[in-house]
Amino acid sequence: MGWGGVGATLVGCDMPSTVTLEEGKEEVVSYLVPEEFVIPGVGVWYASTCRQCPSGCGIHGRVREGRVLKLEGNPESSINKGRLCQMGQAGLQAHYNPDRISKPQIRRGSSLVDATWEEAYGLIAEKTANISGSKFAWMTGSVSGHQSVLLQAHLESIGSGNHFVHETINNAIWAKVSEDMLGDSNPRIRLDKAQSVLSFGADFLGTWGSPLHFSTEYAKFRTSPRGTLIQVEPNMTLTGANADLWVASKPGTEGALALGIANQLVSKHSLSMSGLPSSVQSLIRSYTMDETVTATGVDADRIADIASTLKRRSPSVVLAGASAQGHEHGYQCVAAAMVLNIILGNIGETIESNGEFAYASMAPVSGNTQSLVAFSQAAADKRFDVVFFSGVNPVYTAPKSLGLQENMANIPFKVVFSHFNDETTAMADVVLPLASGEEDWGTHVAPYQAGVGEISIQQPLMEPLSKDTRGFGDILLTLLKKRKESAYEGFADYYAYLRNAFSTIPAEHKNGASDDQFWADVLSAGLIDVGVTDKPLNVTAVEFNMPKELGNSSDMVLAPSARLGFWDGRHANLPWLQEAPDQISKVVWDSWAELHPSTAKKIGVKEGDMVKIASASGEINVKVYIYKGVHPDVIAVPLGQGHDAGFSRYAKDRGVNSLSILDPKVDKMTGELALYSTNVKVTKAAKTDDVLVRFGGSETQIGRKLVSTVSADVYERTEGGDHVA
Amino acid sequence: MSVLQHLPPGRFIEAAGRGSRQTKHTVQVSFIVMLLMATMALFSANVNADVPNAVPPEGEYSGIHVEQPIEFPHDIHADVNEINCMYCHTYARRSKVAGIPPTSKCMGCHSIIATDKPRIQKLTEYWENKESPKWKKVHDVPDFVHFTHEKHIKRFVIDNEDLQVENVSEVCAFCHGEVKKMTVADKVKPLTMGFCQRCHQANDGPSDCWHCHK
Repeated sequence: MGWGGVGATLVGCDMPSTVTLEEGKEEVVSYLVPEEFVIPGVGVWYASTCRQCPSGCGIHGRVREGRVLKLEGNPESSINKGRLCQMGQAGLQAHYNPDRISKPQIRRGSSLVDATWEEAYGLIAEKTANISGSKFAWMTGSVSGHQSVLLQAHLESIGSGNHFVHETINNAIWAKVSEDMLGDSNPRIRLDKAQSVLSFGADFLGTWGSPLHFSTEYAKFRTSPRGTLIQVEPNMTLTGANADLWVASKPGTEGALALGIANQLVSKHSLSMSGLPSSVQSLIRSYTMDETVTATGVDADRIADIASTLKRRSPSVVLAGASAQGHEHGYQCVAAAMVLNIILGNIGETIESNGEFAYASMAPVSGNTQSLVAFSQAAADKRFDVVFFSGVNPVYTAPKSLGLQENMANIPFKVVFSHFNDETTAMADVVLPLASGEEDWGTHVAPYQAGVGEISIQQPLMEPLSKDTRGFGDILLTLLKKRKESAYEGFADYYAYLRNAFSTIPAEHKNGASDDQFWADVLSAGLIDVGVTDKPLNVTAVEFNMPKELGNSSDMVLAPSARLGFWDGRHANLPWLQEAPDQISKVVWDSWAELHPSTAKKIGVKEGDMVKIASASGEINVKVYIYKGVHPDVIAVPLGQGHDAGFSRYAKDRGVNSLSILDPKVDKMTGELALYSTNVKVTKAAKTDDVLVRFGGSETQIGRKLVSTVSADVYERTEGGDHVA
Repeated sequence: MSVLQHLPPGRFIEAAGRGSRQTKHTVQVSFIVMLLMATMALFSANVNADVPNAVPPEGEYSGIHVEQPIEFPHDIHADVNEINCMYCHTYARRSKVAGIPPTSKCMGCHSIIATDKPRIQKLTEYWENKESPKWKKVHDVPDFVHFTHEKHIKRFVIDNEDLQVENVSEVCAFCHGEVKKMTVADKVKPLTMGFCQRCHQANDGPSDCWHCHK
């Protein structure tokens, strides 16, 4: 009997299966002339640069049989030191995405139809032939390196200075405050040297600055002795979830809280305000404990505790991010945080100079939202005849109240460089399909670098999947050749342009290597450090005021919080990121609204119910996720979903875009969109059959002791010894 | 009886460097098995004299004849001219895949040799167009099977001190049949799980699921 059983198993294993019988179905193609080190079946790693967000992390791509299969961080890169985030990993899905545009498209009547590059270039040449510079504009995302050089050259060739650089997720106000108060828009933050961090909504582990860089710095901050992290924000971010103390703030009160803490440091801990303008000194004096408690709603004990922690655990560093800057007085909120740094003596200790990138024409140009507002207004004023767009999707990221979509109709000729059809290509007259980040050449200078001046190389990790896509640099070069043939005729393509640029780099960077060897070394390392020039910090605290009244609305405030995942919505077409549970809510493939339990009770909703969120500028219906990590007066709807049908099969009919219903308010000092200042009415809406899909069933441990905790008092009483406060 | 036949002879265990791990019991078992094997050798033609320290896998298969872009004559190369399989399929001992030789390798000889033959002229045409022929895959395993040539060549060729490397085609023939008697390769072995499994049992190969399904 036993033998029979074995025999039966073996017969089972010998059953012909369709997969093993596919002789002659697949093709196998050898290399024509392989590189000596290439062995089929064995991966080779090439260095390049991640293009999934503007941080500019170095990557290594594993290439096998001419296909890129896996991306990892480049350990040589000072930015990410070998790490790569989920957005970076999902770069492969942007590359292999089935919805990529593979042919140029030209508008014929109401629809875009496939065209050839000759037709597209011909039409562009015709429309830009006699254009006056003031009638032409570029709108791009953050840009740097030789792409920036060529882009400026293209603007110059037309005689235009109109370059709108737009990023919804930005540090624009932090940069402006740093410029005004420290003389450096991009100071170096030494989390590794700090003993305590007070962050007003700076989600430095998720979306603030250079998240992977700060994650590694944060790891140093948390190791011996362990630094203390205090996060103040209206709704919990990934950084907030890691904090020792998380304080829910009513949006717009961050500045008041910072001034209140400053008041405590001065009055209770004898820190000096000298060096601050007298108006700022009296502003700080006015934020007494009572005044601060009234203004912020934060407990007096808590404010005193934060102040004493910052004093005791010195050096500290105070940061401000999206939720602190997203107000009509956003500049003041960030300035108040910076004042704390000055009072605490952090300048020169944990906030240092980053130096300045030595080659100005390649230096990073970082995007903001002021440009979006200005662009929309310019379009409304019919200032432009031709606009080129690349690396942006303003029709999606602009609040409907800006009227950008309507204003776009005033631009007679719109050219959109893109990988995918999206809300902006839908309005284009010409769509130019770009090579993916894994197919293109480029050089990138990261906007945040820790005291070094690295140029990160982007090199193709494989042949283009489609023969009709073109690299961004290649398109720019072609456009330039059509305008100024003589200056660019020596460059057959963008590779030749870059190769030449690296030949002409000053000899001091070449370490005595021959030209070819130097180029090979740079490609192999993926980067080259060309150094920075000194630019010492120069503290000049500026005057500012703080509005006492914040509208005092009984309405709630909408928080369009950003995540390392969909980012500003650009990655909603990547299934890995749709599938990855949200860091806070664990929701997949959907939008949700975070609501405090007490507020949910007031409105009469429970998890999964639908609410209507109505602002003066529009309304959205979205399912509720009930969570304590959100201020009771706030409803948070993370960014990313709610795309038009054209964007992608994966993002189609999925969730809502919380940016769409924001009021057109701006920070009065910088013109940046005030993203956290839209008042909304939240009401229960009719429930649909659609359920809110979340990973993880419960917010509590239900007595399972998954993470056992004991209070410090109990520990001291029962175990003895000191505890670290 | 058929199961016993596939137990490994003791000599193989030593040759694989595991002699020190044998207990007295296994030595005895091996001895008995050797006696059995010696008896059975009289009745069995399965033990291939050309590959020492190995029991060839059992099983036959009759695959369809696949038309290739060029009817590559394995027989002329491997049999008539006695070119070692691993000369062209150089990746087999270095990688999981044996690999089709790069077109540059073909041209290394055929820019001079047999240039008047129609097949070579067709090859030259590919070369001059900077293309490689699109061969049709004949031998394959499903995507959920991790098969590596490298490990098998190591076991039966590199680590097999008694094998003359000139006879490597006999090892290849375990799974590919007598390719040196064919023009383009046909599939003549089943390459099913049972086929693999029996050979792994007979040659003391790993039998954990994850070795192949990972």
